[in-house]
Amino acid sequence: MGDSIIVGRLAGAFGVRGEVRLKSFCAEPEAIADYVPLTTAEGREFRQVVITGQTSGALTARIDGITSKEEADALKNTDLLAPRDRLPALPDDEFYHADLIGLPVFDTGGAALGRVKSVLNHGAGDLLEVLPPRASATVLLPFTREAVPTVDIAAGRIVADPPEGLFPG
Amino acid sequence: MARSVWKGPFVDAYVLKKAEASRESGRNEVIKIWSRRSTILPQFVGLTFGVYNGHKHVPVNVSEDMIGQKFGEYAPTRTYYGHAADKKAKRK
Repeated sequence: MGDSIIVGRLAGAFGVRGEVRLKSFCAEPEAIADYVPLTTAEGREFRQVVITGQTSGALTARIDGITSKEEADALKNTDLLAPRDRLPALPDDEFYHADLIGLPVFDTGGAALGRVKSVLNHGAGDLLEVLPPRASATVLLPFTREAVPTVDIAAGRIVADPPEGLFPG
Repeated sequence: MARSVWKGPFVDAYVLKKAEASRESGRNEVIKIWSRRSTILPQFVGLTFGVYNGHKHVPVNVSEDMIGQKFGEYAPTRTYYGHAADKKAKRK
């Protein structure tokens, strides 16, 4: 679990008055404005983000410190990071993808099954994509109470009881 | 054109056999199938199918609201990862 997570990216200028095109990676795109202050990898901080509208594939926004088209274009393709603690707390059995990705997965006997590579949802419930140790192919594990009885974010581990035949060996 | 009602929903016969065998055994297993074209029937609710997407078997937990859809709809053949950002996963 990192201290900052990428929530969006600057995609250049919008118009000539200092507005920017803003690509949001959030589940609700407009929510990116709630996670201020946003920072860049170089340490520049933006304390205010005002969403002004939408354009093709992006939001348009006014960001403090960016006042001209040239400044906006100079920041094109810059990732915007938000502090992890700005994300609101979730009810039981809901987890942020950012918290799950990278966690080691163990079976009920304590043997390592792998590490969470990503979290997917194709319409039939969430799936943990687990990369087993010394393997190149990933395994998809249903994110259910039966298959994943324990998710301990604080301890940094997941205990899984996968259905038969899901993991090789 | 829609499928004629008198034919009933299409399901590959081996999918029905495998589902029935799994339900009778009562084991917690993923039923591996390659038939993406088969319709999801009411008797599949509660079972977990591993639907082939050309690369691997994607686990699909069948629920009531999936009845009438095809298995292939829940196992896309291309994966887009994107960024995690504030996206949430719910354990069911």
